Amino acid sequence: MKFIKVCLLGLLILSTAISANVEAEYELETIAEGLHSPWGIAFPSEDEILVTELSGSLRLINSDGLISEPISGVPEVLFAGQGGLSDIVLHPQFDSNKLIYLSFSETDPSNKNLNTLRVVKAIFEGNSIKDVETVFLATPLRKTAAHYGARMLFMKDGTLLITSGDGFNYREQAQYLNNHYGKIIRINDDGSIPEDNPFLTTEGALPEIWSYGHRNLQGIAQNTEGTIIFENEHGPMGGDELNIINPKLNYGWPAISYGKDYSGALITPFTEKEGMEQPNKYWVPSIAPSGMTFYDKDLFPQWKGSLFVSALVPGDVRRLVLDGEVVISEEILFDGIGRIRNVITAPDGSLILATDGKNGKLIRVKPIK
Amino acid sequence: MFKNILMFLATVFIVTFLLVSHTTVTNLMWLSSMDMPVTISILFTSIAHDMVSMNGSGAVPAAALVAVALLIAFAVARIALKWINISRRYAYAIAGGCALFAIVLLMPLAFYNLDIIAGARSAIGKVYLIATGALGGYYFGFNLSKKEN
Repeated sequence: MKFIKVCLLGLLILSTAISANVEAEYELETIAEGLHSPWGIAFPSEDEILVTELSGSLRLINSDGLISEPISGVPEVLFAGQGGLSDIVLHPQFDSNKLIYLSFSETDPSNKNLNTLRVVKAIFEGNSIKDVETVFLATPLRKTAAHYGARMLFMKDGTLLITSGDGFNYREQAQYLNNHYGKIIRINDDGSIPEDNPFLTTEGALPEIWSYGHRNLQGIAQNTEGTIIFENEHGPMGGDELNIINPKLNYGWPAISYGKDYSGALITPFTEKEGMEQPNKYWVPSIAPSGMTFYDKDLFPQWKGSLFVSALVPGDVRRLVLDGEVVISEEILFDGIGRIRNVITAPDGSLILATDGKNGKLIRVKPIK
Repeated sequence: MFKNILMFLATVFIVTFLLVSHTTVTNLMWLSSMDMPVTISILFTSIAHDMVSMNGSGAVPAAALVAVALLIAFAVARIALKWINISRRYAYAIAGGCALFAIVLLMPLAFYNLDIIAGARSAIGKVYLIATGALGGYYFGFNLSKKEN
């Protein structure tokens, strides 16, 4: 009997030690707080962070966590509904040309009832941006202030992918190639159309379209080699998706979906159709996937090759373990800190999380010393 | 009084059914135009699904939304009838139309122009839904007159 008790005690101590070790892999450090709905994040240097606030400001945060005044020169944005100053990416040759790209929603100057998604490039000068030029404008303009998409990613070939959401009320338009609703757009860094775009010669199609049949795409990332493009999008009530994006493909929304409308109605009774891509993974109920990053650094060797998806509901990050393109397991991390709008890999290999809301925070995930 | 409540509930059911089935049918019509295999069987099962789901698992139960809107509109109509000399059927028909007008046109104003009821996204859809409210109101007013005569 005594022997059994000793064994049980030993097992208890061992399991506690293992559990502490697992939990002690990382710690969370708040870098900055008081940000108004932080959305897009970029790293102009090893120890500086550029962050967009949905309310319309672009700010620089230094290594001490000091938040700058709003950087001047940023265009006026439409801050309403889900719209505002959204994503920021740096040009692949940012170190030499200082080019940044901003996506945002804006009101049509000639008709205040209409708005759209615009992407501009500009030269970053520390506390201001200059030479702002439009590289993409989503058409047709919309009445709704929702579902802009607005994430961006530079592919390894130097072209820019832009996600353009379905505008909520215009979901069927995601299936037609004559508009930008529910599409992934691919352009050159100056806004021109790449010569190898898939619909360049398709009659009636907009030549900048890369893929279609999307809903509200808010995460886009690529693997280290740039051979796989991952994209996540909000489903309606259920049916959030992770997709592997390839040019010219139709991802099905709203003809096929694993979700229902917010009213409870079926958007479609179909979940598959020939010629329409199945998601790599889908979530029912919804997790409201927001940002996404592919982790290929050495700071957390156990996470290398994983995909991290930030989720607004209930508020956590999903680590998706991949075998090539296939998700083989999912781990829930960083829950309990609120709705997470974005997750991104910092140059030093730590993860940066942006929490949603008027008192948004940037949180660094780093190994325990 | 009990009969009035039953008439009101019947009105709510009629309007809710017309609202829900309209959303279902417009969705399926578009899917059919996309060469999706929509059959009669899918039509009926989808309507049945939506009648249950739009009153059970949606953001707001459709029947509750319709009931509240009609209740307010009918109460106003009842008061107005004391001063305005108009047939009950038409008074309640106008009230029913106004109730659905509030749902399909005013509600989106509070939600950045988002039409939560998919069938209300087009102008024709909005007109149809307002007409269903008017039809429901007419039915209510007609039966009310019949009962009191």
